[in-house]
Amino acid sequence: MSMVDEPLYPIAVLIDELKNDDIQLRLNSIRKLSTIARALGEERTRKELIPFLSENNDDDDEVLLAMAEELGVFIPYVGGLEHAHVLLPPLETLCTVEETCVRDKAVESLCRIGSQMRETDLVDWFIPLVKRLAAGEWFTARVSACGLFHIAYPSAPEMLKTELRTIYSQLCQDDMPMVRRSASTNLGKFAATVEPSYLKTDVMQIFEDLTQDDQDSVRLLAVEGCAALGKLLEPQDCIAHILPVIVIFSQDKSWRVRYMVANQLYELCEAVGPEPTKTDLVPAYVRLLRDNEAEVRIAAAGKVTKFSRILSPELALQHILPCVKELSSDSSQHVRSALASVIMGMAPVLGKDATIEQLLPIFLSLLKDEFPDVRLNIISKLDQVNQVIGIDLLSQSLLPAIVELAEDRHWRVRLAIIEYIPLLASQLGVGFFDDKLGALCMQWLQDKVYSIREAAANNLKRLAEEFGPDWAMQHIIPQVLEMANNPHYLYRMTILGAISLLAPVMGLEITCSKLLPVVVTLAKDRVANIRFNVAKVLQSFIPIVEQSVMEKTVRPCLVELVEDPDVDVRFFSKQALDAIDQVMMTS
Amino acid sequence: MIKQILNKVSRKQSKFSKNQEPLDAQNPNLTCSGSKRSDLTGGNSRKLSSSDISAPLNPRFNPNDTNSRKGGHVSVSYESLPSFRDVPSSEKQNLFIKKVIMCSVNFDFTDPTKNLKEKEIKRQTLLELVDFVASNNVKFTESVIHEFVKMVSANLFRELTPQPRDCKILQSYDLEEEEPSMDLSWPHLQIVYELLLRFIASPEADAKIAKKFIDHYFVLKLLDLFDSEDPREREYLKTILHRVYGKFMVHRPFIRKTINNIFYRFVLETEKHNGIAELLEILGSIVNGFALPLKEEHKLFLSRALIPLHKPKSLMMYHQQLSYCITQFVEKDCKLADMVIRGLLKYWPVTNSSKEIMFLGELEEVLEATQQPQFHRCMVPLFKQIARCLNSLHFQVAERALFFWNNDHIESLIRQNRKVILPIIFPALERNGRYHWNQAVHSLTLNVRKIFFDLDPELFNECLLNFQEEEAKEEKIQSRRESTWKHLEEIAADKASSNEAVLVN
Repeated sequence: MSMVDEPLYPIAVLIDELKNDDIQLRLNSIRKLSTIARALGEERTRKELIPFLSENNDDDDEVLLAMAEELGVFIPYVGGLEHAHVLLPPLETLCTVEETCVRDKAVESLCRIGSQMRETDLVDWFIPLVKRLAAGEWFTARVSACGLFHIAYPSAPEMLKTELRTIYSQLCQDDMPMVRRSASTNLGKFAATVEPSYLKTDVMQIFEDLTQDDQDSVRLLAVEGCAALGKLLEPQDCIAHILPVIVIFSQDKSWRVRYMVANQLYELCEAVGPEPTKTDLVPAYVRLLRDNEAEVRIAAAGKVTKFSRILSPELALQHILPCVKELSSDSSQHVRSALASVIMGMAPVLGKDATIEQLLPIFLSLLKDEFPDVRLNIISKLDQVNQVIGIDLLSQSLLPAIVELAEDRHWRVRLAIIEYIPLLASQLGVGFFDDKLGALCMQWLQDKVYSIREAAANNLKRLAEEFGPDWAMQHIIPQVLEMANNPHYLYRMTILGAISLLAPVMGLEITCSKLLPVVVTLAKDRVANIRFNVAKVLQSFIPIVEQSVMEKTVRPCLVELVEDPDVDVRFFSKQALDAIDQVMMTS
Repeated sequence: MIKQILNKVSRKQSKFSKNQEPLDAQNPNLTCSGSKRSDLTGGNSRKLSSSDISAPLNPRFNPNDTNSRKGGHVSVSYESLPSFRDVPSSEKQNLFIKKVIMCSVNFDFTDPTKNLKEKEIKRQTLLELVDFVASNNVKFTESVIHEFVKMVSANLFRELTPQPRDCKILQSYDLEEEEPSMDLSWPHLQIVYELLLRFIASPEADAKIAKKFIDHYFVLKLLDLFDSEDPREREYLKTILHRVYGKFMVHRPFIRKTINNIFYRFVLETEKHNGIAELLEILGSIVNGFALPLKEEHKLFLSRALIPLHKPKSLMMYHQQLSYCITQFVEKDCKLADMVIRGLLKYWPVTNSSKEIMFLGELEEVLEATQQPQFHRCMVPLFKQIARCLNSLHFQVAERALFFWNNDHIESLIRQNRKVILPIIFPALERNGRYHWNQAVHSLTLNVRKIFFDLDPELFNECLLNFQEEEAKEEKIQSRRESTWKHLEEIAADKASSNEAVLVN
C-alpha cells in the first residue's frame, strides 16, 4: 500500500504499458487514454500525451485502430474546440498506414473533429492537412484524403476552394485505381458541399471522367454515386447529365454495372421526376427485369414494389406487371425469392380489382413454388396478404404450403416457419388454428433437430400468450404433459424446457396443479441430465409458486437431488436451494 | 494546369479512338440481320464530342448482344471458307485475314442447342488458324496483327459470369472443396487462347509492330481475366502473360504495376480473386531473373505488395507460390531477411492455426537464408512469437515450431545467440514441460530443453531461477497494475471535479 504514496506519472504508466508484449494489455491502456488525459490535465495532454501518440505508430493494427477511434472523441481532453487542431497530427499519420480499417477509422475521426472545429482553424490546420495527404507519396494517404474534402471545402476561402476542386479532380485521375475508387466513392459527399454553379461544371466533369474509367471497379462506384449526385442537381440538369449516363449504364457490358443500376434506378427516378421516368427509366428498368444475368434480375426484382409506387397504376399495369409475371416463373430460384419478398406491396398500387385478377394468380403460384425460400418469403408478408384478399381465399392455398414447409427437409426452413406461427395464429384466428395447425405445433416438439425443438417450445409459449391460459389449458398442456413419458431423454428434456417457458404464462394455479407434479416425477428420471434440468426448472418456479408449495413440494424434491450421485445434479440443486433460501431471507 | 488539361484531352481521345475503330468494312461471308447490324455499330460509331458524356468505355466489339435475354437471335449466314490447302499460296494471306475476321463473331453458349452448325464451323476455322500460324507461313503485317488482335479481344474480353448463388454459400464453408465453375464457351475460348499463345511465341510476329495492338489496354484486359473461375483459362493466361512479359520489354513496368494494383485491391479491399496463385507464379520467375543489386523498385514491391499478401484468409490458395517469391528475394539479397521476417511477424495469424503452420514453414525457409547480422536485428520479436507458437494448444503449430531445432542452420543461429534467445523462450519451454496436453510436443520440448541445458548449464539455471522468481511475482504485478490504474482514475476524477469547481466559480 506504499504504492499510493509514490508520485504517479501518467505518461510513464502509458509508455510502460504500451511496451508490454501482451496485446490485450496494450489495447486496454489505449482504451483508457481518456483517463490518462484527465489525470494529466488539458495542457499536459496537449504538450506531452498527443506528441507521444503521434510517434507511437508502430504498433499492431488493432492497437492503432483503437487509438484512431479514441482520438475522435478527444476534443474535451485537450481543452475544447480552440485546441482541437492538436489532435490532427497523430490522426494524419494514421491516415497513411497500410491497414484499411485503421485508415477508415482515422478518416472518420478526422471528419468528426473537423466538423466541430472553428472556421479559421480549419483554414489554418485542417485544409493544409488535406492537401498534404492528397499529395502523399504512397497511395494510402491519397485514398484517405478523398474522404476529407467535404469537411474542408465549405469553410475554405474562394481561392482555396478552386484549389481544392482542382486537387479533387486530380485524385479522380490518379495513377492508382485505389485512389480513383476512393474519389469515386466520396464524390457524392463532396458534391453536396460544392456551390451549384461549380456543381454543373467542375463536378460533372469529374463525374464524366469517372464514368469512362478503364477499370470496371471505378465505373461501378461512379454508378453508385449517380443517384446522390442526381438529387443535388436541378431536375433539368439531372435529366441532361445523369439520365443519359444511367441509360447507357443500364446496357453496360459488365453485369456488375447493370446490377448497380438496378439498385440505384429507383432513387434516380425520384430525382428526375415523373415524365423522364416514364419515357426513359421505365424502359431501362424493364430491360433490367429481363436481363440475361440472374444477379441483375435479382436486384431489379427486389425493387418492383418501390418502383411501381412512384408510377401511375396504368404504367405499372402496362409495363411492370408483365415482367412480374415472367419473373414469377424465372429459372433462378433467387430471382423468384427476391420477387416473393416484395410482391405483396404491389397490391395497394394496383388496386383491388387488378390485384385479384392479375396479382393473385402470381402470388398463388409463388406460394406453390418448389423452392422453400420463395414460399417462406410470401408467408412472411402474410399480414399484407390478408388485408388484400381476405382470409377465406387465402386459407385454401395457404394451408398446404404451410404444412409442406413444416415438414421441409432443411431444418432452417422449418425454423423459419415456426417463427411465423404466432403471426399466422393472430391473423387466422383461433378456430382455423385449432383445426389445422395445432397438431403441427406438437409434432415439432419431437423434431430431430434441437433448434427446432427449442423453437417449438418457445412457439407454444407465444401461442399461450396469444390465445390465453384457458385455451392453452385445453389445447397445449395435456398434449405436452403426455410427452413427458417419451422414451427418449432428449424429448423429455424438451418438455422440461417447454414447461419452464409455459409456467409464467399459465400462472400460479395451473403451474402448481398440473406442471409441478410432472416436474417432480421427472426428478426421479434415470438420466442425470434430466435430473439437473429439473433442478433448474424448479429454480425458475421460485417467483411463480407460493411459499407453502415451495416448502411442501419443491424443497423436499431438491433436498433429495442434493444427495444425487451425479456431480452436476448436486451442483444445480444446491444452486436452486440457495436461491430459495435467499428468497426466504428477504421476504 | 495547361499540361493537365492537355493530358486529360489526350487521355480521352485515346479512349474514344478505341471505340471508333470501324468494324468489318467488308466481309462477304458475314451478313447480319438489320437489327443486329445496327446493334453492332451502335456501340462503336459514336461521334466524339466534348458534351458527350454518355459513352462509358464500351467494349471494342460486341457482336453478341449479351444484354437482352429474350430477343436478339443471331440470324447470320455463317459458312466455312475454303481451306488453306485449296487456295494458291498468293491467296493464303488474304484467306487468313478473312478467317480471322470470321472468328470475331461470338455465339451464345448458355443455350447448347443454338447455332450448332455455326459453332462447329467457327471451331474448325479456329483450328485451321492454329495450324496455319504454327506452320510459320503467316506474314504478320500491321493490318494482319490488327485484325488478329481484334478477333482475340472480341473472343476473350468478356465479362466474367458471376458464380451461381448456391456456390457462394458453399464457399463460405470450405474454400478448397468448392468445384471450380467451367466456362461454357471453352470449346472456342481454348482454341483462341492457343492461337494467341502461338502468335506471341511466333518469331514471325515482330514485337515492334505488335506492340501497337498488344497495348496497355490489351494487357489490362488480359490481366482482368485472371479472376476467371475456370482453372484451365487461368493456366493459359499464365503462360501467355509470361510470354508477353518476355517479348514486350516496353510493357514490363506496366505489367508489374498492374499486377501490383490487383494485389493491393485483393489485400486492402476485396480479399477475393481467383488468379493470385497464377500471377505469383509468373512473378516467381520474373523475380528469379532480377539482376543484382536489386533495384529499389523491386524491394518496394517486396515490402508493399508481396509481404502484405500474407494477410488475407485465403492465403492457403497461393501460399506455395508466394513463399517461393519471398525466398527468391532473400536468396538474392540476404539483407532483406530482416524486413521479411518483421513482415511475417506483423501479419502473424492470431486464431488461424493452419495459416500459422504455413507461416512457420515459410519462416524456416527464410531463416535458412538468413545471416548472422540480419538475424541479430530481428531475433527478439521473432522469438517472442516463436515462444507463443511453442505454447500453442494446436499441437501441429507447437510441433512445427519445435522442429526449428532440427534445422542445422537455424540451430546454430540460436546457439550463437542463446544469451538473448533462451531467456525469451524459457518460460514457454517450462510451461510446455509442465502442462502441454500433447505427448509429442511434450517430449520434443524436453529435447529442446536438454539441448540448452547441455550447451550452457549456467545460463539455463539462471533462466530457471529467473522464471521461478517471475512466476512468484506474477500475481503481485497484476495487482500492482490494477492499483496503478485505479489510482490514475482517482487522479482523473479529482482533476475533473476541481475543474468543474473552477468553472462554477
